[in-house]
Amino acid sequence: MNSLSRRLLLSSLAALTLGGALPALALPPATGKVILTLTGKIDEKNAGDKAVFDLAMLEKLPQQTFTTKTPWDKQPVKFTGPLLRDVLAAAKASGTTLKANALNDYKTSIPLADAMRFDMVLAHKMNDRAIPVRTKGPLFIIYPFDTKAELRSAVYYERSAWQLKSIDVE
Amino acid sequence: MPHRQNNKRYLLWLALGTATMAVVMAVMLALQVTQNEAIRKGSQMRMDSLTAMAFQFEREFLRFRQALDVAVRTPDQSDLDDLVLRYDIFVSRLNLLKDNPSTDALLKRPELVKALPLLNQLIERTDIELAKTPLDLAKLGDVLKEFNTIGPEVQALSLAADSLVTRLVEQQQNDLLSKNEHIIWLTLAQLVLLLAAAGALVIRQRRQEEQRRAVEKLTQDLRDAKFEAESANRGKSLFLANMSHELRTPFNGILGMLSLLEESPLNAQQIDHIQTVRRSANHLMELLTDILDVSALESGKLALKQGPVSPHGLLLKVEALMKPLSADKKLSFTVDVQSALPQWVHADGTRIKQILFNLINNAIKFTTQGNVTLTVRNSQDTGGFARLEFEVSDTGIGISPEGITHLFQRFYQVDSGIDRKFGGTGLGLVISRSLATMMGGGIVVQSTVGVGSVFTLTLPLAACAAPADAPSDGVQQVQVNAALSSTASVMPAPAATDRTQAPVAPPAPRVLVVEDHPVNSEFIGVLLSRLGCESVFCEDGQQALDSVREQMFDLILMDINMPVMDGLTATRAIRALPSAIARVPIIVLTADIVNEARDQALAAGATDFLTKPVQIAQFRATMKNYLKNLAAS
Repeated sequence: MNSLSRRLLLSSLAALTLGGALPALALPPATGKVILTLTGKIDEKNAGDKAVFDLAMLEKLPQQTFTTKTPWDKQPVKFTGPLLRDVLAAAKASGTTLKANALNDYKTSIPLADAMRFDMVLAHKMNDRAIPVRTKGPLFIIYPFDTKAELRSAVYYERSAWQLKSIDVE
Repeated sequence: MPHRQNNKRYLLWLALGTATMAVVMAVMLALQVTQNEAIRKGSQMRMDSLTAMAFQFEREFLRFRQALDVAVRTPDQSDLDDLVLRYDIFVSRLNLLKDNPSTDALLKRPELVKALPLLNQLIERTDIELAKTPLDLAKLGDVLKEFNTIGPEVQALSLAADSLVTRLVEQQQNDLLSKNEHIIWLTLAQLVLLLAAAGALVIRQRRQEEQRRAVEKLTQDLRDAKFEAESANRGKSLFLANMSHELRTPFNGILGMLSLLEESPLNAQQIDHIQTVRRSANHLMELLTDILDVSALESGKLALKQGPVSPHGLLLKVEALMKPLSADKKLSFTVDVQSALPQWVHADGTRIKQILFNLINNAIKFTTQGNVTLTVRNSQDTGGFARLEFEVSDTGIGISPEGITHLFQRFYQVDSGIDRKFGGTGLGLVISRSLATMMGGGIVVQSTVGVGSVFTLTLPLAACAAPADAPSDGVQQVQVNAALSSTASVMPAPAATDRTQAPVAPPAPRVLVVEDHPVNSEFIGVLLSRLGCESVFCEDGQQALDSVREQMFDLILMDINMPVMDGLTATRAIRALPSAIARVPIIVLTADIVNEARDQALAAGATDFLTKPVQIAQFRATMKNYLKNLAAS
């Protein structure tokens, strides 16, 4: 099975799971300051053809916490936030690739399958404190690096986008 | 010895070489591990490229300065949120530079040491100004001026990061190169060691091959030497056999004449002289017989003649012969049979007697007073198999343990002085033991000096059925009987009837003596005339053959070794004649006591044989067996 077909299978599986996990609850409109915008192949929209999230909406999703070492900090850091796949499910995202854009114009490409295989967190807290833009906030896509050796490589470090602004689902 | 030392040294070198190799390999391993570590670190370094971080920082610095510039110049066109965002991102970039595991080296650079406090001060001021609502544009303008002033320091920071990375990469490269160089040297050392080891192995292999070849050559030489020694020994045995055989013929004459001399009138001194000569002659005869036995045993020519033997009969005969000998020395000799013996056993009675005679003779010889006892036991009597033990014990001088070890060696006599005192050939025990071994048994000795000796002959014997006509002794007797019965048929019938015609003097039996040795034929002639026989002499087989074609004889005495035609050929020729002479008894005279000679004689058609030197009693007995009308001398 080549990597493309596997990705297709995984993504369609993901779509199925996402659809199943969260029944068609209409995405409510954001009331606070929008910190995340989802565009592209999404079925649930709350602002034109986009799905936008404020902090409260993200905090409403089930929260995940883990502590891991990163190449950017001297000490292990505790990350808190919803699972990336839950956020994607909220917007009924389908497709294969997530194009993440950061406030600092950093761009990176994440296979959607990563969100299914790993418990990736869209962290809004580091060491239990909200993440200011001055450090790596407001949102930080983070992999649980300490759980798997394969994650501790440049590929996944590059996909860990901080100061995340938006995700374009392709 | 030097070989073993060599081996030790080789092992030492081997151990040393192995240890060195192990150390070299361990060092190489350590180097490889650290190299791996270095490579891993290097890859991490690349991930968080200092240059990229410095560049991003500078970029965000410039972007914010641009935004600030716009805000100060055209406040109405400016978005405060955007300005704050740009500012936050700029600060985050600075923070990244400050608290990052991979920027430690950069923080120590003078450029950064100089720029960081300035930047911190500037941020403190900017934080205050941006927090004001509404914004104090004049003050912001001052901030902008400071951002412009600090521009070169920020740029220097980028350059510093770049040069640092270049230097780090270079250092890493050098590090890797030097490690590689070490590995190369170590590999080279390993190669040299390996080659040296291979060389040593080749040398050792070659040396071992040489040694192997030397050992092989030595083995071959030894084998050759052994073969040579053996063939030399065989040659010697053959020579001995031939010599003793040749010696017997003239000896025959001496003994014969001696016998005649003994029977002539002599004075006391002459009798004494003759007795001395007789003793020496008997000793010489014993020697010859023994040597012939030994050479026959050694050349493997001696075969056992087995047949039914009565142990009791055999013991009676031994007793009868040995009693007078012991009586001569005033010793008591007793035969003590302690167990039930089988009636008949399958054995060579003559040879068993020979052994017992030898053992008892020795016992009598070495005992000056006391007694000699032959004790017979049957130590195992099961399933038709007996194990007879003939124990000859004496109260003689005994043998020292050292003497016992040499006892069964050829020509060994315990004390060379004893030779003179007691006589003997020194071959008796060797022959006895060889014979016992041939029969599947053995002889053991126990002895205490001054107390006496015990020689035990052990023989495993199979019981057998009694022969058709059971005489008191074994094989020889049986053979003689067979010979007798065969001659009975060829005996001329008139001879039997002659005796009944008593008054008329019976014709003297005519005997043809075929013997090339004049002394022997003279001796035989004298013996025959005493028996009242008429003798006709001839010197070889051809003459004998000519004679019998012309005359009739009652008996023919035939020597074997003769010129022109030997005795066996002549015997065969006579037996093949068509006349009555072909059935006349032919007695072969042979000095050959080896079985083969007798077999050959009987096969050639001889009726019986007489051993040379001719013993008077034996000669008479044989003649009486085959001739009637003998004088009763």
